[in-house]
Amino acid sequence: MNTPLSATQGRALYWPIQMRRNVGVRSLFAVVLVFLVAYGLLFPGLFTASGFAKFTQSWFPLALVAMAQAILMLTGGISLAIGATVSLGAVIAATTMAGPLGVAGGCVAVALTGLGIGAATGFIVVRLRLPAIVVTLAGSFIIGGAALLILPRPGGAVPAWLSDLLAGNTPAAFVLLVLIVALWKLYLATPLGLSLYAAGENPVGAYRSGVPVDGARIAAYAISGLLSTGAGLFVAAQTGSGDPVIGAAFTLNSIAAAVLGGIGFLGGQGTMRGALAGSLLLSLMISVMFFLGFTPVAQYVAQGLIIIGAVAIPQFRKVQQ
Amino acid sequence: MTAWKESAGGERALTILRSRPFLTVAIVAAVWIVASFVSRGFGAYGHLRYLVELGAVIGLVAAGQTFVVIAGGIDLSVAAIVTVSAVSLPLLSWQADPTGITAILAVLVLTTAIGLVNGLGVALLRVHPMIMTLAMATFLQGLLIIIAGGSAVTAENPLVHWLGNARPVGIPAGVLLWVAVSVIVLTMMHATSFGARIFAMGANPLAASLSGVPVASTTLAVYGISGSCSGLAGVLVLGMNGQGYVGIGDPYLLASIAAVVLGGTSILGGLGTYAGTIPGAILLVTITALITVVNASPGWRSILFGSLILGLLLLSGREQARR
Repeated sequence: MNTPLSATQGRALYWPIQMRRNVGVRSLFAVVLVFLVAYGLLFPGLFTASGFAKFTQSWFPLALVAMAQAILMLTGGISLAIGATVSLGAVIAATTMAGPLGVAGGCVAVALTGLGIGAATGFIVVRLRLPAIVVTLAGSFIIGGAALLILPRPGGAVPAWLSDLLAGNTPAAFVLLVLIVALWKLYLATPLGLSLYAAGENPVGAYRSGVPVDGARIAAYAISGLLSTGAGLFVAAQTGSGDPVIGAAFTLNSIAAAVLGGIGFLGGQGTMRGALAGSLLLSLMISVMFFLGFTPVAQYVAQGLIIIGAVAIPQFRKVQQ
Repeated sequence: MTAWKESAGGERALTILRSRPFLTVAIVAAVWIVASFVSRGFGAYGHLRYLVELGAVIGLVAAGQTFVVIAGGIDLSVAAIVTVSAVSLPLLSWQADPTGITAILAVLVLTTAIGLVNGLGVALLRVHPMIMTLAMATFLQGLLIIIAGGSAVTAENPLVHWLGNARPVGIPAGVLLWVAVSVIVLTMMHATSFGARIFAMGANPLAASLSGVPVASTTLAVYGISGSCSGLAGVLVLGMNGQGYVGIGDPYLLASIAAVVLGGTSILGGLGTYAGTIPGAILLVTITALITVVNASPGWRSILFGSLILGLLLLSGREQARR
């Protein structure tokens, strides 16, 4: 039993394990496919280059915040400050990029802010042992306030070429998403990434086995902050300017997407592909309702019902069995 | 013997001194004393009475929230329910009833029913409370705009007006209502078997259900209580404001959770008391009032509010390592 797995055996194990991790989200993938077909029928332009570009662009920020929320929920945390962090990212992008720092400097500023905010939040939650819900609630005020200080009213500017590159007729958003997913896979192979699931599922057991639980959780908060401000940068590029409250809706939607994707609240349950599928479903739902001529108000009602339904039905089936 | 008695009395005094509710009361007192020295007029009776009156709304919402949190859940739909109450009450005010009490009762039944639906989702469909109540809030938000549109509606209900403006024996009616609700809530929580079941359920739902606690019906009751408390808060805020509009309840979601946690109730459930939430609510209004006195820009105001809550949490809200 003690013989270590050879490389070929390891590779042979990899795919069955990946398949098994898909079990919980298979029905979700089916629903996403149905919505995708419905969307394709309603809007045949989806399969042209520009239609595809536009669609992935409307999905991209939601996918990022869903990942930001999912990585926290996997470690047993949660953030109610995602929306405020997105706003802050957008505001920083819109104020720095047109200035002396330029686009590269702006990107660095956005990334550092996200990492810094996330790491600080993680430190407060993990090391000072305060409940994550309340810390991030209070944090949302601080971060939102900072966004208001930087840019009291919508304004600022993002260079036109960057807007064209990210939100024009290019598949840049999709390429970026693929890149981020690849980076996520890489991260899962690092020691901190490996600790992520262990720290969420059974922190005490993981700690006793020598897993850096605190480090993994703080790193998760930092990455979550980076993804959130990144989403803000993209939103700023989409609109061409900054808005201190533009991210407000993302807090709710990020939780909804992660939960639709089968991520559990207790930590250690769920997969990132589930969260991405959840965000795609949410994004498709909003687009399909738009094309069916739902008023924004009716969209709220339908969204509330669909989220409850999507979460309740699998649970209900489990109870009946 | 006297020495023994003294030490027992001393121990009791020490437990009270060390308890979370007392700590929160002490913080409020300290803030009030310091603020009244720094800012003229802060310590005036009229101003403090006004603060408590504002705290009453938060206190009412937080009463239901305390029940839910102690039972191991969380209710993120309280803001939407407050709005539902404040917006639908003016629409219900018909002429047949001159006192306006039927309209209030009808609204309370409605909000309790909303709370019960939350409870049904959590208890029977096993949806996580955060998702159930968030989805309910989203649903209600849409429904409200359909019902009320974007405009403000004026209440012409005499009882609501009385509740928001009258001052029998010099104390605002809203504060009297809060006192009455507090007495009922504290009795329910600490002197009935229902209260004991809630604590048991929040500490360990499995153990509670194995020891014969009817978990499903208790969960339903808890969310129902939260719905009716938020409904009552909506009636009060409508009375104080005169008008109801979509979004009137929004500030009370964060405020209710912050009041509960600042009062020493564990967000993980099973531990806490409404006796802490009461000073927690007053503390929140005091912070808001102080920040208004400072006269800063909205950005700084928001940063100050968040930092102060975070700082206070460090003083009183730390989770004990449980094992």
